[in-house]
Amino acid sequence: MTTRSCAIILRAPLLIALLLAATSSRSFAADPALKLEALLVWGTNDAASPDPKHKPVEPAIRKKLQELPLKWNNYFEVSRKGIDVPAASSKKISLSEKCDVEVKNLGASTVEVSLFGRGSQVLKRNQSLPPGETLVLAGKAPNETAWLVVIKRVQ
Amino acid sequence: MTHDSELKLQAYVDGELSGPESACAERLIAEDQAAHALVAELRNTRAALKGNEPVLTLPETREFYWSQIQRRIQAQAPTQPAKPATSIADLLRRFLVPAGALAALGIFCLLSVSELQSPSGGSQSEMALADPAAFTYRDFESGTTLVWLSYPADNDYSEDEFADGI
Repeated sequence: MTTRSCAIILRAPLLIALLLAATSSRSFAADPALKLEALLVWGTNDAASPDPKHKPVEPAIRKKLQELPLKWNNYFEVSRKGIDVPAASSKKISLSEKCDVEVKNLGASTVEVSLFGRGSQVLKRNQSLPPGETLVLAGKAPNETAWLVVIKRVQ
Repeated sequence: MTHDSELKLQAYVDGELSGPESACAERLIAEDQAAHALVAELRNTRAALKGNEPVLTLPETREFYWSQIQRRIQAQAPTQPAKPATSIADLLRRFLVPAGALAALGIFCLLSVSELQSPSGGSQSEMALADPAAFTYRDFESGTTLVWLSYPADNDYSEDEFADGI
């Protein structure tokens, strides 16, 4: 057996230990709390909202919404809530009287989003939300308009 | 003459019979021509064998002769090959090869379980409660996922409900 092969054999446990440590840390390390933001948005083709409290959504969200296959030209922000979800826990917020959102931090930038309409759960979905990722839940509203719940990662 | 009589005559020639049996055999030889001929033949055969048996004489003593044979047998016996001395590298290799294989298997299992448990690997699950008509659209360029729900139904709205609908 050559000196080189001996050296490779002797280094093998070190490499294996490093690989195991990396894998373990990836699998079991504590994930930080997720900072999310949820917006209730009204989509319409009207130029202005009948509610003066509504304001047009910020340009970044508007751009994202306009890239989706939706038929509306204007989007107005109805409400906005921040959601801080510690690891392995959940938080529920109300965006309106009829709309609640519950977010559970599953770790690894993944959340379980539950949408409640009039108190009833209408959707539960696991979604990966790395920074820059946005989840939009939407449905139709009266007069050819739409409601949208935009959940985006803040940190 | 029966077969038993022939055997008795052979024993008589070999001197193996007792006194009364020997007298009986002699009487049979004297009275029976065939018995007489058989005994003559047996005696001729015995004399031929005895006179022509080769006698080997050893140049040395019996013990010395057999000890030589024993030494030759022992010299020709296959000897067990001596085991080479096992080096530390060989011992390490014997331990590390299976240990490395086990570790690689463990890493593979951990990675597999991690990928299965983590929905970030592309396995996003969705359960649209009370809304089987929901569909999902994914815009990879902007990193946006749209889930369109048929909720609420058209008849869920009352006339005086505000346009935000939800």
